This record gives sequence, C-alpha cells and structure tokens, in this order.
Amino acid sequence: MASSSSSSSAVTERRGIPGAQFVEDVQTYLTQLGLDVNSALAFLQERLQQYKVVEMKLLAQQRELQAKIPDIEKCLDVVATLQAKKGTGEELIADFEVSEGIYSRASIEETDSVCLWLGANVMLEYSLEEATALLQKNLDNARASLEVLVADLLFLRDQTTITQVTIARVYNWDVHQRRTQQAAAATTIAQE
Amino acid sequence: MQQGGGSETEVTWEDQQNINKFGRLNNRLHELHDEIKIAKESNDNLEDASNELILTDEEVVRFQIGEVFAHVPKDEVESRIEQMQEATSQKLEKLEEEKQSVVAQMSELKKILYGKFGESINLEED
Repeated sequence: MASSSSSSSAVTERRGIPGAQFVEDVQTYLTQLGLDVNSALAFLQERLQQYKVVEMKLLAQQRELQAKIPDIEKCLDVVATLQAKKGTGEELIADFEVSEGIYSRASIEETDSVCLWLGANVMLEYSLEEATALLQKNLDNARASLEVLVADLLFLRDQTTITQVTIARVYNWDVHQRRTQQAAAATTIAQE
Repeated sequence: MQQGGGSETEVTWEDQQNINKFGRLNNRLHELHDEIKIAKESNDNLEDASNELILTDEEVVRFQIGEVFAHVPKDEVESRIEQMQEATSQKLEKLEEEKQSVVAQMSELKKILYGKFGESINLEED
C-alpha cells in the first residue's frame, strides 16, 4: 500500500515490511482513507496481526543465528588447537562422545588438514589454513546477517508501536466525537 | 502501553518517536537482563573450574575444545581459564554499563511522556 506520508520522514517499507503511516490528524487520516471509524480500526488491527506474524518469523531466525555463531567459534577453536600442535611432534589426546553418555579416547596425530561438514551430507577435506579461512568467512557472514536481522526487528517494533498508538488515537477520537455530538444534540433538545 | 479514552491531547511525530524509542529501550533492557544472567553464570562456572584446578593433583586435565575433551597440561588450562575469565568480566562490565545507560534514558523519556500525556499513557511493566 503506497503511503503518501504527510510531513513525517517515515520509511515507507523495509525489506518487504510495510511501514506504518504516522497520523498527524485523525480526521484527515480517516477522510484520506475513505473509511469510517470501524473499518479503519479493523484495517489497523489486521496490520498489527501481520506485524506480529513477521516478528515471530524474524525472532526464530534470530535464535537460529545466535545458536550458529558460538558453534562456528568452537570449530575455529578446534582448528586453531590442531594448528598449534603442528610442529611439536606431539599428538593430541582427546576424549570424545561415541554415543550419548559413552566416551572414548582418541589420539590425533599431527595433521595438515581437517574435514569440514558443509551440510547436505557433504564433507570436504581442507588444509588447516583453508579451513580457518572458510570458518572465519562463515562466522563473519553469520554476524553480518544477525546485524541486519536486528535492524529489521527494530524497524518492525517501531511500526508496531506506531500502529498501536494510531489505533488508540482513532478510538479516542471516535469517543470524543460521539460525546461532542451527544452534547450538541442535548443542547438542541434543551433549546426546543 | 495504553492510552485512556476520550482525551484530546495531540500526538506529534516527535511524541511518536519518543514512544518508539521507549519501546525499543524496554526491549533492549529485557535482552540485557538475560545476557547479564548468562555472563554471570559463565563467570561462576569459570570460577568453580579454576578452584577445582587448584585442588586437583593431576598433571593433565581434560579441557573442552569444540565438542571433545582434549588432554591439556594443567598450566595451559590455568592460563586458558584466566583468559576466559578476563574476557567474561569485561563483557559483563560492558553489559552492566549499557544497562545503566538504558535505564537512565528510559527514566528521562518517562518524565517527558508522562509530562505531556499524564494519565493517558501507561509506561509501566504489566
């Protein structure tokens, strides 16, 4: 919906999320929309619901990324440890989980490469340096995506707040209108 | 956050921006509470680990790297834990500082918004 924003410098949309139009004056807003109060409120409520749906989706994506980042950091740690062991001639002894609750001992000899799980049942062998570079790139990408996501959420929350305030103002305006009309009607009757 | 019925106080774009900012700060405050809790737990765990280390008489300690427990000499483990403690304390300090700043800003905004809207606005946690 193209919003001809009045005087506010509001962004009209961000990455598919429609911006909420700021209402300078309720009467003008209703005339501009060409809707009566109840239809306007229904429209705004629907908008609010749409925002909620998008927020749920973004929050889920955020949780995913927030879990992924420490995982990548752990991987980098392992590769760094293997790299440090290189040249010392020592092997790395580690206890690893064979199955839940069952651990076994492994002796990892000096090595120049590791295998990285790329997803989709694919695992590739990389040299330690290449592995570090790849993991670092993934980490940087994940962090950048998270930043964009957080900015999206901030924008979304602002639009939600604006819409909530607009709903309250339209409702209040309506109440005020009715009261004024009732008062005017009462005065007219009293004068007859 | 609601507004009372029937009042005629006009809401300007500046007011709206203040309300938006308050909302954002409130969200950030909740996030900070959680993050601070996690950082404190992490600090406690490192403290416990460090104490255990002093008590043990083993020369080689099983230290978690990635998903496995590598056999690492005690001294190296000690310095690793110290590093981690350093990092976590700094992070905790930064988080606490940010929290103080957020709380102060929210206080300011409350004054401004209650000042203009009085009973028509509710900025308290429900």
